[in-house]
Amino acid sequence: MKYSPLGFGLGLRKEHYHDILDSPSDKQPDIDWFEILTENYLVEGGKPLYFLDQICERYPVVMHGVSMSIGSTDPIDTNYLSQVKQLAGRTNAHWISDHLCFTGLDGVNAHDLLPLPYTEETIKFVANKIKQTQDFLGRRILIENVSSYITYKQSGMTEWEFVTAISEESDSLMLLDINNIFVSAFNHGFDPIEYLDGVPAHRVQQHHLAGHTQYDDYIIDTHDNNVVDGVWNLYAEAVKRFDDVSTMIERDDNIPELSEIMKELQMARDIYAVTKDKSSQVTNQITSKSNDSV
Amino acid sequence: MMAFLLSKDKGIESDVVNTKTINAKQRLSIYGDGYGYRLHDALSENYPAVHTLLGDHDFFKIAYEYIDRFPSQHFSLRFLGSKLEEFLNENYSNEPYYAEMARFEWALRKAFDATNQDPLEVKALQEIPIENWGDLQFTFHQSVSRMDLHWNTPQLWAAIDAESDPIPPEKLEYPHAWLTWRHGLINHYRSLDVDEGWALDSAMSGGSFENLCEGICEWIDEEHAPARIAGFLGNWINEGLLVNLKYD
Repeated sequence: MKYSPLGFGLGLRKEHYHDILDSPSDKQPDIDWFEILTENYLVEGGKPLYFLDQICERYPVVMHGVSMSIGSTDPIDTNYLSQVKQLAGRTNAHWISDHLCFTGLDGVNAHDLLPLPYTEETIKFVANKIKQTQDFLGRRILIENVSSYITYKQSGMTEWEFVTAISEESDSLMLLDINNIFVSAFNHGFDPIEYLDGVPAHRVQQHHLAGHTQYDDYIIDTHDNNVVDGVWNLYAEAVKRFDDVSTMIERDDNIPELSEIMKELQMARDIYAVTKDKSSQVTNQITSKSNDSV
Repeated sequence: MMAFLLSKDKGIESDVVNTKTINAKQRLSIYGDGYGYRLHDALSENYPAVHTLLGDHDFFKIAYEYIDRFPSQHFSLRFLGSKLEEFLNENYSNEPYYAEMARFEWALRKAFDATNQDPLEVKALQEIPIENWGDLQFTFHQSVSRMDLHWNTPQLWAAIDAESDPIPPEKLEYPHAWLTWRHGLINHYRSLDVDEGWALDSAMSGGSFENLCEGICEWIDEEHAPARIAGFLGNWINEGLLVNLKYD
């Protein structure tokens, strides 16, 4: 059973606090929910929590972390998880997510989403850590597919087989990042549609949409640009396949005005509406909307 | 992978698949480059004035040396720079104003997200029975940091923060007492007279009102001591420095 869907949201960024909170209550920005970056609010006080508390009074919030390091052989950091749990209580977080990766080893944190080898051994190991984490937090969590730039020779299956097996084994939910599928498909040469077809719809709770940076031979997941047409098209394909998924725009650098990101959010809404209503005509309409809106 | 990121160990290359267009070494470099840039940027975010003082080239060099010496051991990048002052003192002792700026900026960083505590109100002083004043002890807001600075560091920081014309580092004739803290949501800093600096140090380390009155006599007459200390207390309360009083 998935969590109730929240609609179309944005990643909460400090650059937009005042635009969001200074609006009259009857003219609040039309955003269904916000995703907060967990670690930004694991602090003792001051401005971050002051603004967060006000956001939580007005909007549903979910938490998205980068430090669970669920694939690391280091023991689970219960100090970190305790703080996550406390913040979830403070914000009434609808759900908590992190990434299918490791971020450090032997107590040293690389602060990056490092890829795992796709093996049966890794599946068992990671699924067990997710179960322990879910037990500690007292709730199911969402695990996000990451963008990756290498493939390990030890990997013996596709990424979608790997993420599906872990999700099923741990009974967790999926945060399916559409941009990350697009990026990894280019970097590793797989078909992103096969990816979408290969994951279980009943576990897909949330989508991320984001921009990236294209180089000649690879793409880096930079979150510093608008969502590109290829990702919008892939999102439309996801909409055809998955129901009751909450979708959001994730922007972490080169942050534009709130009104600019709201245009992208409207784009996601339009694609969703068009795709659900007229799936056969979706491609032409996306192109038209994209040229008008972004 | 961690050995590759932390110490450029190339052993992992043999575990990574080459593609037709990009080999394992190039693919791994995306992670290697990202690691350095990410931590450099986090350090710069917490130490913008140190960055400006050093300039891009030297800050870049120092950031990478620092990351090698003190890899992140906290789940949050917020704490990556916790030992920069120590690092600069060890490695750049000929330019001590870098380390002092790091100390000043880290104190401001601490103030920014220190625990929320309700500041004491003036009426709290008025409610203390006269016979208990001597035993009075003080609890300060957790954002408060006290430091003696040997350089014109706060002035340098202010010029950099305001993006005004740069001023050179200048060594002071004697160390000046400074204070950083947060009142409400706003960070503050100010200098202290010598006797206030001493009184604050004493109060922060558990000294009682009586102790403060005795100690302040190094600078003023005994008969004026209580009024001088009471004046400090009034300022400390108005500035949001105090959160509690206690007496037996």
